[in-house]
Order: sequence, then structure tokens, then C-alpha cells
Amino acid sequence: MKSELNYNEAYSKLQDLVEQLEDGNIPLDKLAANVKQANELLAICENKLRQIQTDIETAAVKVSKTDKRKK
Amino acid sequence: MNDSIRLSTLTQLIQDTIQSRFEGEVFTVSARIMNVKKYESSRRCYLTLEEYEFGTKITEIRAVFWANTYSEIEKFEKVLRQPFRDGAEITCKVKVRYHKVYGLNLDVLQIDVAHALGTLELERQQTLERLVRENPETIQLFDGIYRTYNNRLSLPMVISRIALITAPNSDGQRDFLQELKQNKHEYQFSITEFLTTIQGDNAHQLILEQLQLIEQSKESFDLVAIVRGGGSLGDFKPFDDYALSAYVAKFPVPVFTGIGHDRNQSIVDLMAREQKTPTKVAAMIVEHNFSFENTLIELRRRVTDATTRQLDRATERLEQAKRIIRLSSPQDILNRGFAIIMHNNKIVVDPKIITAEMQLQTILKNETIHSTVTKKTKNEKRIEL
Repeated sequence: MKSELNYNEAYSKLQDLVEQLEDGNIPLDKLAANVKQANELLAICENKLRQIQTDIETAAVKVSKTDKRKK
Repeated sequence: MNDSIRLSTLTQLIQDTIQSRFEGEVFTVSARIMNVKKYESSRRCYLTLEEYEFGTKITEIRAVFWANTYSEIEKFEKVLRQPFRDGAEITCKVKVRYHKVYGLNLDVLQIDVAHALGTLELERQQTLERLVRENPETIQLFDGIYRTYNNRLSLPMVISRIALITAPNSDGQRDFLQELKQNKHEYQFSITEFLTTIQGDNAHQLILEQLQLIEQSKESFDLVAIVRGGGSLGDFKPFDDYALSAYVAKFPVPVFTGIGHDRNQSIVDLMAREQKTPTKVAAMIVEHNFSFENTLIELRRRVTDATTRQLDRATERLEQAKRIIRLSSPQDILNRGFAIIMHNNKIVVDPKIITAEMQLQTILKNETIHSTVTKKTKNEKRIEL
């Protein structure tokens, strides 16, 4: 799985796979591979989301420190 | 020379003559006051009343306010907001009195303040009308409100660089600086002082010169504050001057006035933005910046709320995807009691390939059953699980 995917790309692929799983259109012999790929995409999305959250929190702390310094 | 009489006899004669002519009579006269000498402790004021024609003095007579009429001077200064001093024009009631030692004098009984006020107000109205008439580009009158180029300038979002016009060591200077320096938000300001006399005959010209100096570096200032100590009986006149008012009206940096009066507005007040007192000008500046900070705080809150909402939504979607993936995994299917049939290590998807005698592996959760097909039949009806 290419890890260079950004969150939107990874989520878009994940969404497609999940829809296929929900529809039951995946041949049974490909099910395991698709579930594996879906899990990998899920992990990418979760990691990126966590990173985004951390970045936002870091930015907020920086702004708050700058404000205090100004005062 | 034998006919000579004593001087006191003559002065007595003068006194008697004057007394018989003017006894009990009160006159109302208009005159310019000069040589004013006020003695506040003894509550007396000595002056001369003078009349001019075409710039030439045509008469002069000494006059006195005694202790019982000294309050007239205080009333004049309070109502007209200008000091009782040389050059002022007054209308007053007087009594003629002659004293053998002190000579001829007019005792001033009362000043016609209403008349003086009317004259002042008339001059003020004439100046305002002239300002509108001669400066149509920069001064307009709408519904009794003077809209000028200056008082319609928008303020910067944050005011930090202030040009302060005030008198050195004055109450106005102290109040303004104190209010700014002790602001509870601890905002910092860069204040450049342009110190000058704010009262007196030349004050309007001196203030105008300070404004000209400021204009030379107009890019360096967010605002000009003209302040004067509150509560003083100082001269109001400089701020009604035509040239100064016209200059303020077209001044390129927003001007705020706090010239310490509450009875009336000066013309400069009308051309600029008026805040009554130095403290109020400073408080307005602090409040303006606080309002901007509040806008920022609100924007920050909205950013936080929006990003939190978006992250929560993304997390929820991933959780939902996770649930669906888990339910779809072959292991989960086996856990739920279903079986996978395999032949030659391949999952049998189509039952048509299964024939009798074929070797099959039935994979369950924990075990695999190896079997040989003995018979294959079609289900008569769909099996409901």
C-alpha cells in the first residue's frame, strides 16, 4: 500500500471498498484480500487523522504562547 | 492768585456736581476691557473700559468690581468658558462715582452674560456656516451633523501609534497618559508628544503648527489626540477658530478631541471625533483595541469548533468503516458459524464445479473437515438463515 496517499485519497479508496463490502459484490475468494486492503487504508486514515489532530493542537499551543509573550 | 481755593474744595465741588447729576442712576454700556487686574484674595478687580472706532481708542475710563460684584467675573468665566481678561468685549451695568482721592471711576454692578453669550454664539454660527460654504469637499452638514473628511476616516483595526497634542505638564497630558499606560489589558502604545500652549490668543496657531508637523510624517501615526485638562476655565476660543477647524476637517489622520468641557461643543470637536475628556479619549482607544481582540478570540473559537467538528466526523466515519470491514472479514464469517468449502486449495464459489467423488475441505472456525462428495442435490426452496 502506498503510504504517500493523503487522507482524502486514502479515505476515498476506503469508502469504495466499504461500499463494495456492504453490497456483497466482492467474490468470496477476493474477500480476504479486500478486507486486508481496507484495514490498511483504515490504518493510514487513522494515522493521518491523529497526525492532523496533533498538528492542530501544536499550532493552538504555539498561538497561545505567542499571545502570552506579547502580554 | 488771591482767588485760589483749596484743592479739596474743588474736588468736593466736583464730587457734589457728579453726585447730583448721577446719584442713583445706572447705565448700561458696551466696552472693551483692558488693564485687567484681578485680586482674588480681596475679591476686587481694577480695569479700564475702552471704546474704539476704526481701530482708534476714542474713550477710556477706570472701572472697578468690588467684593460684592466680583462674582460677576466668575459667572462670566464659567458661562462663557473664557477668562475675563484684556480684549474681551462686555456689556455691563455701571454707576458713576467720584472719590476725592481716587478720582473718577465706574463701579461695575453686573455683566450682561446673556448678551456676551449671544455674541459668542453668533460668531460661532458664522464660522460654522463659512466652514461649510468654503470647504464643500471636506465639510458637509447633514441633519445637524457635520460630516468631515477627517471624522469619516476609518480607524485602523488596532490603534498603537498616537500623536498627542497637549500642553506640557498639564492635567490633560497626565490623565491621558495614565489611562493608556494603566490599561487593564496591558496593551502597549507608542505615543509621540507634540507639546504646545493650548490656551491663549495664539493657541489656535500653535496647535495648527503641531498638526502641520504631524502631517509631515502622517504615515507614522494611527491617530491624533488633542487633549486639555478637564474642569479648567480655560479659553474655549482657540477651538472655535476657522483656520484650525478647517485644517482638522481635512486632516489625513483621524483626530480625537478631549478638551475638557461638557457644556458645549467647540467647532474643532465637530470637525473631528469628540470624546469630551482626555481620559475618555484614552479609554476609547483601549476599548477600540479590545474590541478587535474580541473579534480575534471569536474567530479563534470558531476555528477550533470547526476543526473539532470536522475531526469528530472523520473519526466517526472511520469507526463505521471499521465495523463494516470487521463484519466482512472471512474470520468473522467463520466466527459466526459459517463454513468455507475449498477444493484443491481454492475456495469453491460456484457449486456447479462440485461433482460426485470430489475431495473437498470444509473449513470451520477451529477445524477442517476433509470429505468426499457422495451426492449433490438442489435445494427445493431457498434456505433462510
